[in-house]
Amino acid sequence: MSDIVSLEARKSEPRLRIGILRLTDSAPVIAAQEFGYFADEGVDVELITEPSWANIADKLSFGFLDAAVIVPPLVFAIELGLRGISQSLIVPCGISLGGNTVTLERGLAARVRDAAQSLSMPQALAAEIRGRDAPLPLGIVHAYSTHNLLLRYWLASGGIDVTRDVKFTVVPPARAVDALASGQIAGFCAGAPWGEVAARAAVGTTVATSDDIWRNAPEKVFAVRRRWADDNPEGLKGAMRALLRAAQFCDAPENASYSAVLLSRHKYLDTDSHAILASLPGGAVTSQNLSRFWRHAATFPWRSHANWFLQQMARWNLIDSGLDHAALAARVYRPDIYRGVAGAMGLAAPLADSKVEGAHDQNWTLDAVPGPIAMGPDLFCDGAVFQHESAPVAQ
Amino acid sequence: MSLTILLIDTEEERARALEEKLLESGFARVLRAQGPDLGAIVEREHPDLVIIDMALPDRDALEDIRAISSGRPIVMFAGTDDPAFVREAIAAGVCSYNLSGVALADLKPIMTSAIALFQRYRHVETELAAANALLDERRKLERAKAILMKDKRMTEPEAYRWLQKKAMNESRKLSQIVEDFVRAHQDAQREVKP
Repeated sequence: MSDIVSLEARKSEPRLRIGILRLTDSAPVIAAQEFGYFADEGVDVELITEPSWANIADKLSFGFLDAAVIVPPLVFAIELGLRGISQSLIVPCGISLGGNTVTLERGLAARVRDAAQSLSMPQALAAEIRGRDAPLPLGIVHAYSTHNLLLRYWLASGGIDVTRDVKFTVVPPARAVDALASGQIAGFCAGAPWGEVAARAAVGTTVATSDDIWRNAPEKVFAVRRRWADDNPEGLKGAMRALLRAAQFCDAPENASYSAVLLSRHKYLDTDSHAILASLPGGAVTSQNLSRFWRHAATFPWRSHANWFLQQMARWNLIDSGLDHAALAARVYRPDIYRGVAGAMGLAAPLADSKVEGAHDQNWTLDAVPGPIAMGPDLFCDGAVFQHESAPVAQ
Repeated sequence: MSLTILLIDTEEERARALEEKLLESGFARVLRAQGPDLGAIVEREHPDLVIIDMALPDRDALEDIRAISSGRPIVMFAGTDDPAFVREAIAAGVCSYNLSGVALADLKPIMTSAIALFQRYRHVETELAAANALLDERRKLERAKAILMKDKRMTEPEAYRWLQKKAMNESRKLSQIVEDFVRAHQDAQREVKP
């Protein structure tokens, strides 16, 4: 009886298969699923926890997933067909800001911290590396990841030659702590909660977070196969409404413990809920590494973010140098779709598609409709200011 | 044609079966490996083809050999000119990397064996999961009946009819009713005993 009912329901409801990894910033998607926000919008969502970024990418490429919570450089890699066949994707909203840690083996971290009293942290690490006779093995979660780009940016800002002084090894986030404990790597850059898990296991110490590299750095985005989005325009809007609702829930400090317990479940992160709690807004008083899901326009798909990622991918030869960044960013990042959904919900959406990155050393106010949005600082660790487009940008 | 194939699979039995099958066909040298440092193994052994279980997170390391150390070309899925074939491989849970640029036609029979084996395993796993789910349902039903017999002093047939009637009234599956009932009972117990 109930089988027949559910089969019929499936026919009318758009079905959306979303891939996630075992990371704190899967929170809004998990909350939207478990609290029935997707169901409220009539979207039949299946969440699939994948073991690695390669699986997310392959399954998107071959249509086994319709969408994913994903790192932006990998979105461009899939769009451009840099790893297997290409699949056209769109990014109608962001998922999180911040949340990554640079975590080093404890002895190394202690030496670097001591030296960092007179130097910047990456300069102190550079001095430590100069005393070695082999490149420092560091773990990143994927070549096409935010982590690879942020870590390289940070290392280079301290004068480290990342092509010579460091050996990058790819270690999926949930494996990073084991790799550090076994000595396979001397440190890693990975998303929450794995830096906290390393600290709790007395294996590693965090020496920098996303915010130390780029204040309020964009982290994960929600990417959808363009074909699915074209075939299900109402389904996409419904899914986004559910996500924007969940983002507000996950960003509220009073909900941190709910989210932490939810995420720690076996079928999701399958790890210590206390370690997850430390990376959620409101989760820990002392924590310096928070994922932000709603505040500071965290869900807006800024084209300036897309352009920055493309610039950094070009810097490290991950994409061809002749590529038109602005055109690619405009094709993939879709603030227009975001404004349509947010506007209908009465939520504030920025007026500009891009902003000047790195120009704000303190809180500032962003022009938005129906009302302004309170923004946080966006400084880079090297003091750079990034402005790519000639189009109007928010100051 | 002599190819070197690296098999990476935590499913010991499946890996052994595949290795035997490939060796029988006579055109392959088969290596089996496990462990997180797959990049180093590939650098050392120079396999022509890597067949890996999609459920292993370690395969990220393989994919990025090109991107990170600018090593030899690495082609995913032994060529991507046959999307239907690749889709079948992914659905079966097997993924392959062709590291030395051997043509897909040469690798296809090898991959076909791998896909068939993975599919068979998946089938066995699904059946096992279904059997376990059924057993679990039975256990919970027994538990629910025991609770009713103790708390409400029902006989066993009464307890069963009570649950069945509840399922019909709420037009839900009996298994769901039983699951909720047992959980509610456990929660209530927990509240009593701090």
